[in-house]
Amino acid sequence: MDKLTDLHLDALSEVFNIGAGRAAASLSEIVAEEVKLSVPSIEFRKCAELNAKVLSLDQSQLGVVKQKFSGAFTADASLLFTEESALEIMRDMMGSQISIEELAEFEQEAMCELGNIILNACLSAMADMLEIELESSLPSYTVSNSDDYIQSIIGGEDQTYIMILHIDLEIERRQVNGRLIFLFSSSSLSTLRLQIDTFLQKI
Amino acid sequence: MMPHSVAPQGYDWAQLFNALNTGIILVDSKGHVLLWNDWMSRHSGVNSEQILNHHLSDAFSETLPKSFIAAINRALSTRLPVVLSNALHKFPLPLFSTAGSGERISQSIVLSPLKQAQGELICLIQVTDSSTSIKREKMLRDHSELHKKDASTDPLTGLYNRRFFDAQYAIQMMQAQQQHTTLSLIMLDVDYFKNYNDHYGHIAGDSAIIAVANCIRSKLQRSSDLAARYGGEEFVIMLPNSTPAVAQSIAENIRKAVTDLKIAHINSMIASHITVSLGVSSCLPGVKVDTVTFLKNTDLALYAAKQKGRNQVQYLPL
Repeated sequence: MDKLTDLHLDALSEVFNIGAGRAAASLSEIVAEEVKLSVPSIEFRKCAELNAKVLSLDQSQLGVVKQKFSGAFTADASLLFTEESALEIMRDMMGSQISIEELAEFEQEAMCELGNIILNACLSAMADMLEIELESSLPSYTVSNSDDYIQSIIGGEDQTYIMILHIDLEIERRQVNGRLIFLFSSSSLSTLRLQIDTFLQKI
Repeated sequence: MMPHSVAPQGYDWAQLFNALNTGIILVDSKGHVLLWNDWMSRHSGVNSEQILNHHLSDAFSETLPKSFIAAINRALSTRLPVVLSNALHKFPLPLFSTAGSGERISQSIVLSPLKQAQGELICLIQVTDSSTSIKREKMLRDHSELHKKDASTDPLTGLYNRRFFDAQYAIQMMQAQQQHTTLSLIMLDVDYFKNYNDHYGHIAGDSAIIAVANCIRSKLQRSSDLAARYGGEEFVIMLPNSTPAVAQSIAENIRKAVTDLKIAHINSMIASHITVSLGVSSCLPGVKVDTVTFLKNTDLALYAAKQKGRNQVQYLPL
């Protein structure tokens, strides 16, 4: 059986919420405002099954922060917002006196920072739980058409499985939701499953 | 422990770090400085002898921001790289330009945890001066503003062009219908303008168009009112939140202002000087109508003004 069971996903969901809590604390410190972050749902599929409905971000332009994690297993991790939401978040984080035009020039770097905080927090919480070590590339930010993005995942040869996490982010009473996407190869997925099993046996 | 793949053994690494045009700091897991390159010395005023083996926070006379310290701790505890964007942390470290002004440098910072052979973690801090890229982006933005303005303006009169009007009209129409307010339109045509051009020439024709445009501009007081050159001698004016009575009185004021210019027009069939005809229409709250029909109705009002002898304002209800 080459997939994660509900039990595996429950364990991951719990640990990602811990990560989200840490990320929220870091973000709150940066913006000097209470930031809330949670991971209400998690879903596991084959990459080939990904489509706009599964992704359920109904906007054509997506802002994507990407990091490649490696170590005990490898995973391509991405944080997705609709481009509109990404700009709203940035505006809230930088204070509302800044115009949308001015924002655009800061968007790239600031989104990298935001994505970096959230991705690192989730992945390091997972690494802590599974007692493994992970390394990561630096984050990159791209704005991409959602069809192209989905096509790039379906057409990717190395990665077979996808984990989709819904995330709710609340800054200054504004709520936006995004997605955390993890792509795994079959062998990385097997390793991950084995590690979660080991962890589950210990508790 | 220098990797052979990067440079041969015996290579002078200090020389390389000092030649870099970017700030490089290495700190150990307790925050003690292991490396401080020349760029850092130049911009902080603290040289490496003063700071090596001391805590990073002792290098600067001011307290380092909490978020910066937290980021280093995060990089070391998660063993993952951390970025500090210029957008969210303008000047995390007290670093100053070496050029005359001595202003504080805007920075972008990357923190990379490095695992040493003995297993302990150190943190590489790369500081980039982002002021040049910020200046460049500001310049690009100014240029694009200029282009945007060019793309929306009629070069002869300085009023908006038809393209800009069409876009704004659609937006205002939607808003008026959502918020149940009245949107009024005025269309204006210079009377016997072809005759004027034929007699006085195109340069004089252009001057007359500019003069009419200035009359329109002078009679619009609210920033939400929008006037555009719609065709050769045709103008359109959009008045959000204006009743039919207000719109008609603005149209009448424009008509009078043009007449008062007393620009000689011997080939006009109705006067000795330049005059204009104006059609007014209003979309009242609750009236469901599309943009094309509303504009067409205003054009019909203008047609009525011409039919009734020109140099006048006609209102046509929807």
